Amino acid sequence: MASTRISRDAASVTGHADMAWPAPRVLPWLTSQLIDWLPALPLILLALALLIVPTVMVVAQSLRDGTGAWTAQVWAETLQRRGDQRAIVTSLGLGVVCATVSILVGAPVAWFLARATTLMRASWLSLLNVGANFSGIGLAFGFTASLGTYGMVTLLLQEAGVVFTPPSPASFLGLAIGYVYSNVPLFVLLTLPAMGVVQRDSMEAAAVLGASRLDFWRFIGLPVLAPFLAAGWLLIFTWSIGIYGLAYALAGNAATSQLRLMTLQIGVALNSAASSQERAAVMATLLLLIATVSLVAYRLAVRKAVQWID
Amino acid sequence: MDRLSRVPRVLLFGVVAVYLLLPLTAITLYSFATSWTAHALPDGYTLSHWQAAFTNTRLLSALGRTFLLALSVLLLDIALVVPAVFWQRVRNPRIRVVIELAAAIPFVLPFIVIAFGILRLYGVVAPQALGTPWLLLLGQAAIAFPFLYWAVDGAMAAIGVVELNEASRVLGANAWQTLWLVVVPQIGPGIATGGMLVFALSFGEFALAQILVGARFETVSLYSLDLLARANADFSTLAVLTVLTIVILCVVSVIVVVLNRGVADRLLPGAQLARGDSSGN
Repeated sequence: MASTRISRDAASVTGHADMAWPAPRVLPWLTSQLIDWLPALPLILLALALLIVPTVMVVAQSLRDGTGAWTAQVWAETLQRRGDQRAIVTSLGLGVVCATVSILVGAPVAWFLARATTLMRASWLSLLNVGANFSGIGLAFGFTASLGTYGMVTLLLQEAGVVFTPPSPASFLGLAIGYVYSNVPLFVLLTLPAMGVVQRDSMEAAAVLGASRLDFWRFIGLPVLAPFLAAGWLLIFTWSIGIYGLAYALAGNAATSQLRLMTLQIGVALNSAASSQERAAVMATLLLLIATVSLVAYRLAVRKAVQWID
Repeated sequence: MDRLSRVPRVLLFGVVAVYLLLPLTAITLYSFATSWTAHALPDGYTLSHWQAAFTNTRLLSALGRTFLLALSVLLLDIALVVPAVFWQRVRNPRIRVVIELAAAIPFVLPFIVIAFGILRLYGVVAPQALGTPWLLLLGQAAIAFPFLYWAVDGAMAAIGVVELNEASRVLGANAWQTLWLVVVPQIGPGIATGGMLVFALSFGEFALAQILVGARFETVSLYSLDLLARANADFSTLAVLTVLTIVILCVVSVIVVVLNRGVADRLLPGAQLARGDSSGN
């Protein structure tokens, strides 16, 4: 390829091009722009064609009516519908619950793992990696096999004489149990590197200066770790709201189920010709808004967090 | 350390381990169970589900398709991401702004929303592309690329690609030679780590597969849903299929851990970047 043969020195590039085509001055500029961007162009085109333009299309569709005229009417309609309201509240609630459980369980696990032996940490990391990647339909079957009517846990408890009705997979609790399965490992993997920031010697230094364990956590440990934990919480919150495959498999066809989620509302609209795609577009745009807000908050938290690294 | 203070820690790790291992155990037992409706353990054991699975053409072709798809997504992402990151580091830093913006989309936006958008866009501009595995391949490559991008970017920063490039150029290599003969061999672990995430993501992906192609290109997750949710579900076959999926995921995650030498290098995405920026330039 000709472009890659031209050296990094921009002067020699333009000089060479000038000799070849003396007439217009636009050409050297264009050539150098092309060389600046060419190796990244295929990736940028892919992102444009399958991420950026499709996202814009969804937002645009939520603001149009059946004839294509611009309107906010679909938004007003959707936000007033009982089912859609319930979907929004349930999705947000599920996100908060899952992210909070992840922080309560995941943060101590990450803290101890950061101080474990290499072998111990490596085996736990393998298990956590499987948990983090085991999601979707396979995980839904895992739920059925352990907590279904004939699930392993259900049978075990019943055999032991405990009166136990397993939570329905199409309930808030059922979904939360399923979601947390990959959320907790993800949270640990995300925050584990940060746990090394608080060193053992800073703990000892605090102790020498007369601080109790509680003092240490209150004035040093938590303030340092808080931005990392907040960033992890925000990611789990955002990702939980966006889960689709697992929810679809657990809650079944949302059209017949009582349980509603934002992602399921979209899935139902896309899988059946009868439902309104405009309302699905509103749901999708709402999800985009939530994602944008959490991304901004996440970036702020990360910026605050990295001041402790280095 | 006193014994008593270790009790909560052991309890915590025990509960998490049981929670993570329980569904895996139940699924594995299911794949060997004759019937399992009365006791905590199956009524009897058999290999017949496994034997049946290996002659089940629908299962085998779903596995083959999914494997091929995930591998293609991985190769496509490597081919697109590696040159872009290299060029962004050695020549044009403005590339970073564009790619970071694009990478943020699949990072936080639900895949079902992206699937919806792709369906809308190609329904208008190229209806013939809908339902083809090619569109699914491109879509999955687009949603998975950030994981490879961050891993490769971190790896290139770590080897000091700018200085390497200058040294290589002074010695007479062109950009192409520098990338493939000098840089790529050194960022192997970075490509592998990010690549494994890309592979795993594509392998289990459901939203795009369901919305963009559906039954016309039945992947493992679509077939699994059918086995789980249809009127007379087939849990035995599903158990075998899921165990196979888990084994593939295990191999993948062990490779990642070994390549990282037991260090979790999934530091909050963006944090690595912010660090590179503040200390680098």
